[in-house]
Amino acid sequence: MASTTFEQAHESGLDASAESFHPVHDTNTGISNTKLAMWLFLGSECLLFGGLITTFLLYKHPLPGQGPGPKEIFDIPFTSVSSFVLLMSSLTMVLAVSAIERGDHHRTRAWLVATALLGSTFIAGQVYEFTSFYREGLGYTTSRFSSAFYTLTGFHGVHVTVGIIMLLSLFLLSVKGNLPEHKAETVEVVGLYWHFVDVVWIVIFALVYLIP
Amino acid sequence: MAATHEHHPQAKVPTEVLDGAVKEYSRDRLYVIVAVVLTAITAVEVSTYYLTDIFKDRFLVATLLILAAVKFFLVAYVFMHLRFDKKVLTTIFYAGIALALALYLCVLTVFRYWTPDFSAIKDQMGL
Repeated sequence: MASTTFEQAHESGLDASAESFHPVHDTNTGISNTKLAMWLFLGSECLLFGGLITTFLLYKHPLPGQGPGPKEIFDIPFTSVSSFVLLMSSLTMVLAVSAIERGDHHRTRAWLVATALLGSTFIAGQVYEFTSFYREGLGYTTSRFSSAFYTLTGFHGVHVTVGIIMLLSLFLLSVKGNLPEHKAETVEVVGLYWHFVDVVWIVIFALVYLIP
Repeated sequence: MAATHEHHPQAKVPTEVLDGAVKEYSRDRLYVIVAVVLTAITAVEVSTYYLTDIFKDRFLVATLLILAAVKFFLVAYVFMHLRFDKKVLTTIFYAGIALALALYLCVLTVFRYWTPDFSAIKDQMGL
């Protein structure tokens, strides 16, 4: 039994003060129900974004006379910087998880705020991008391309926004002292969501923006 | 069911129950190295946009797909801890990706994306 192993090891003083851990839980899978639920949710999210990306690929080219297409409107240097910002937020997120597993609450809070700020920068960039596209004549119903593009990237933006709210909630919990080391898995689960948002953007950036 | 370690809120976790999580190297160093690699790959991706003489047509598409896949799996493997966690989580996540890819291929096939008809339609539309 996993729990016996844990208790035996603990009582015999085999404490490793590990910098990171994935303790065995007393469940059929040995994984906590929360983490398992998050992974199942992320698996289903793959289908959601798979569908949206497929739709975009089919409708990538607007019909003649239906407003600007991807080539005319995308600002690759700007989006590249946004992508880099989101990519780096994954680093700060994983460092936050690492910090709380070590019991370093000061650094945990710092990395959580850094992640939220980087996510907010990404969202600000997306708002700027959407606004400039709209000014150039690309509304949501302008063409099948615009509808597919705004739906896909908008859904992703909403996911990032939800992630930022979760990060700030964790920060507040930590400030109030309600996020001790043994609740490190809460940060890890939010981190899983955040990294997923990042990997989805990796795919969107390549398929939507870079591949002609 | 309740997690085992919740009964021992102050307990630190022994090495023996870490399911292979503890290694000799510092995890934080690994994370930074991975971030540097991800940055380098992103730089190569963006360079394909400018180096149009080198990256053309199918070579460009293949390059970008491979680079995106490498980035994707690096984040999932290291940052999302699939490297360190239970294998069943890897199975769940990759099952989702496999289903998404199947969906992607089915829909594109239904819309005759791969057949010459699709190119003909595009040509008629002047795309």
